[in-house]
Amino acid sequence: MTPLLEFKGATKKFRGVPAIRDINFSLEKGEIHAILGENGAGKSTLTKVLAGVYQLTEGEMRIEGKPVLLKSPSEALDAGIAMVFQETNLVPSMTVAQNIYLGDEKLFNRLRGLYIQAQRFLLSLNFYVDPTALVSSLGAGKKQLVEIARAVHHHARVIIFDEPTATLTPEEKYHFFNLAKRLRDQGLSIIFISHALEEALEISDRITVLRDGELVVTDNTRNFNRDRIVQAMVGRNLSGELYGKDRQREARAYGEKVLSIENLSMGNAVRNTSFSIYSGQITGLFGLVGAGRTETMKIVSGVLKRDFLHGGNIRLHGNSVRYRTPSAAVKDGIVYVTEDRKLEGFFETMSIAQNIQMGKLATRSNRLAIVSMAEARELARVWSKRLGIRAIDANARVIELSGGNQQKVVIAKSMVQEPLIAIFDEPTRGVDVSAIVEIHNFINELAESGIAVVVISSYLPEILALSDRILIARQGRIVEEMSVEEATEAKVMYAAVH
Amino acid sequence: MRLTQEGVVFLLAAALFALFAATLQNFLTPGNMVALVRSVAILGILGLGMGLVVIGRGIDLAMVATMVVSVSWVLSLAQASFPLPVALLFGFLFALAVGLASGLLVAYATIPAIFATLATGLMVYGMGRAWLFEVDVQNTPAQSTFFTSLSEITVLGIPMMIVAFGLLSAIIWALLRWTQFGRLIYAIGDNPVAARTSGIAIRPLIVAQYVIASAVSFLAGLVMAAANSGMSTRVYNSTMIYDVLLVVVLGGIGLSGGRGSMRNVLVGTLLVGVLLNGMTIYDIPYTEQNLIKSIILLAAITIDSLVNPRDEQTAQQDLGDI
Repeated sequence: MTPLLEFKGATKKFRGVPAIRDINFSLEKGEIHAILGENGAGKSTLTKVLAGVYQLTEGEMRIEGKPVLLKSPSEALDAGIAMVFQETNLVPSMTVAQNIYLGDEKLFNRLRGLYIQAQRFLLSLNFYVDPTALVSSLGAGKKQLVEIARAVHHHARVIIFDEPTATLTPEEKYHFFNLAKRLRDQGLSIIFISHALEEALEISDRITVLRDGELVVTDNTRNFNRDRIVQAMVGRNLSGELYGKDRQREARAYGEKVLSIENLSMGNAVRNTSFSIYSGQITGLFGLVGAGRTETMKIVSGVLKRDFLHGGNIRLHGNSVRYRTPSAAVKDGIVYVTEDRKLEGFFETMSIAQNIQMGKLATRSNRLAIVSMAEARELARVWSKRLGIRAIDANARVIELSGGNQQKVVIAKSMVQEPLIAIFDEPTRGVDVSAIVEIHNFINELAESGIAVVVISSYLPEILALSDRILIARQGRIVEEMSVEEATEAKVMYAAVH
Repeated sequence: MRLTQEGVVFLLAAALFALFAATLQNFLTPGNMVALVRSVAILGILGLGMGLVVIGRGIDLAMVATMVVSVSWVLSLAQASFPLPVALLFGFLFALAVGLASGLLVAYATIPAIFATLATGLMVYGMGRAWLFEVDVQNTPAQSTFFTSLSEITVLGIPMMIVAFGLLSAIIWALLRWTQFGRLIYAIGDNPVAARTSGIAIRPLIVAQYVIASAVSFLAGLVMAAANSGMSTRVYNSTMIYDVLLVVVLGGIGLSGGRGSMRNVLVGTLLVGVLLNGMTIYDIPYTEQNLIKSIILLAAITIDSLVNPRDEQTAQQDLGDI
């Protein structure tokens, strides 16, 4: 039987550098196919070729045995291939129904008719979404449903999900998995890209692992386990090294109380929360998306403009402080390492050295001082070694690096500011496995050297592997605190959701 | 080697230069060469200030108004027998105040630079015409030799205008290239959010950009007054501010900020200068000259995007990683 979709010797080059190389891949009708791989392994490129965003440099793509060339996402959609993106592509100011029928409107568009039609359609899919609701008012899970509905409406035969569960709560995840299985049973084919291996193991029928742009293995899911996947992804066994199972390790002792937050409130995001941070240990801040962790820490570090501040007190070494800009916080030794490195992390036109040096330049008061190139080179040398930043060329612009290396540059930029309190927000998001190990080791070193470290993470194994003390946030408030010795995945998760 | 827009524009200028030199008899004379640079020196000086602001992801549409009004005020004060140094000081402080106002509006009131400076420009022009001086053309004061001697200064035979342009471009180039201030301006232009989060106090730096641009405008105005023995406020109603932008964008300083340097301004000025001079000798009417200028601008940008197609991956990322 010919597969629904097929790649033969597919290669895609960017400026002559192959992002995927000689890939032979097939997708059967009615299967869930997970594609796994480190960052930079070529997952996104592969799926973007499928979705018509990129075109192959060499090789061919076949649909039901016939070679096709998809020149744009709309041609892909016509061919029955829809992609549901990580950040959803909906128009926030339109209603659910309008989004579903977007690009498909009749000349005279009657809204009421549209809503009735949409309601029927959504119910036929078992989606409980109000078609008249504005998309901007929906949560991440509902938005995803709307995207899926849109794909199904366009008669998609293949739906590609890029990290679909990253922004979902556990409950929404559960619904999503059921939905994916239901779509499969209706005969749709689903491609599922994820970095969460357990999810792939749970949901998929077949798994394909990519490494450095090449296809390492495709096999039925029942022939895989976690170790085999990790081994295929990195080419060596890292599973134990990462998220070490040394759960019995002792928590570091409490140092000095550096920071205490008392009754901090802001809008709906942070509600009357209180906790303390101690030097010489890692405080893990766990919670589901929307628990107000990032907002709280952005208030502490002055990043958030506190337009809606409702009060509360932040004490640094017992003195009340209130930062209106990050610049003031950095001068007092509080640095915030962002969760979104592209948006608020690095400077894309600058080299690694210039990026790292920017941390130093930021707070120096003599604006007319000559910038030392030697200092930049030295900083780059020291920090590249310390964090394992790997670049082909020392003058490479940061935008050309892999996610892991970009993250290390952003970390280095903050660390040259010699902080007393270092706040890491999702330090390993979109980072490859080997870089995760290096970043974790570095964060541990920081704590050993007496710095107060805060790690915000939505990934429970990471929190358990790193923290000495775990704070659990729910609905804008720290609701529970436990040491790593007493914490288990179940206990932490229970506190976070109930 | 990959051609940049700067390279394309430079080659274009060189080609035009060769064409005019071959076809026009009196193009390649020393007298014409000096006239060529003189004709664009003011534009170039303003371009330096504008270039700095654009690199910092801003735009200053008030530059021409600032130039015209501050210097007209100086001249009118001097005619009213104020001592010239005092008049100059007043004019300079006025220009700085305008820059400060624009900067505060952009940095602290977070009004988009294009609207904030458009408004300050209009306001400054209105203030000037309403309160500071009465006639729209101010002549240099007869009792003082400051402006006449300024226009007669030559260094190694090079007229003052050109020297001023060269000197100022060297200073701003060095400021951007070597100092901490310059690095931070690039950082703000590249990614203002990241700059802020990194702990850079970005607001004072943004204000500083506009203050510098205004100071540059004032200097450009002095040079202009010296060269023309006066200042006409009608300049504000001409297309000059767009010509300044033309010089900056043509040279290859991207309006998205963080890219380019003063060298781009020089290259842009060179092309505009060669073009204007050649067209004037050909006796092409002013309106058609404007048309040709606009076509050249479009051509430069188009060639740039053909020679340097945006990298597929980064182009995608600019759209928020589709």
